[in-house]
Amino acid sequence: MTKKNKIYWSLGVTEKGTRALLTDENSKFKWLRSQRNRRLLVVLNVLGIALVSLGSYYPTLKTNINLGTDTEIVIFSVTAIFVIFLTLGAYSYLRVAVRGIADAPDELLDERQIQIRNTSYRYAYLAMGYIVLGLLLLMFFGPELEMFQPEGNDGSYLAIATMFAFAAAPSMILAWRERDI
Amino acid sequence: MLCSIYATSMSRNSEEPVFNQIEEIRTSLGLSRQELADLVGVHYQTIGYLERGEYSPSLVLALRIAQTLNKEVSEVFSLTEPKEGDK
Repeated sequence: MTKKNKIYWSLGVTEKGTRALLTDENSKFKWLRSQRNRRLLVVLNVLGIALVSLGSYYPTLKTNINLGTDTEIVIFSVTAIFVIFLTLGAYSYLRVAVRGIADAPDELLDERQIQIRNTSYRYAYLAMGYIVLGLLLLMFFGPELEMFQPEGNDGSYLAIATMFAFAAAPSMILAWRERDI
Repeated sequence: MLCSIYATSMSRNSEEPVFNQIEEIRTSLGLSRQELADLVGVHYQTIGYLERGEYSPSLVLALRIAQTLNKEVSEVFSLTEPKEGDK
């Protein structure tokens, strides 16, 4: 009788999937685990998130593009979707690079892994706090960016970028800080 | 007893290192890092971190490692650097 694959709903992972990542020693993704490559993935993730969030401002920035025609809207949307999938890909690779430790439940980790995961969440919490504070200050005191306008900029790309940032921040911190993982 | 628990919990502070003989004892027993990790129930990277002194174990893990290596905790872990003769 095969053991049932437990699903951790709150973490969005399964037992088998997490175990596979944690014990993944000889797979084709082993090269991702060097600190240099992990840091490169972090940079890619940050760039991706920044690009996605810019999607909310690009149409209203002082550019010649005003998304006035259907063709311009299609080009903008296709580019945005492409960037979102690219960022999603970078995030998936990042999760593999850190063995999925950031999303793993306590019972599948040893005490050191729990400690580094918790530390990464602490730093991620601080980082996200500063980012949200920065955005709030920008909204209240910054230049007129025409944030959250019903036409052209409804804040949806910023919301997607924020979700990416919240999901990836602990893995990014783990990937950046740890020597071996 | 209370003192030793306090000392172990203090040693989890990165400012106070815990020295250990895990690598020496493990190799003398002919165990690989992976084998010791499986016996103790941790990831093999954790054994590496312990051997390099980059991670101080909890009291439970220290006891489990000593038991697996068939040694007293004080023979495996110490707050002072072991002398050459002890290695």
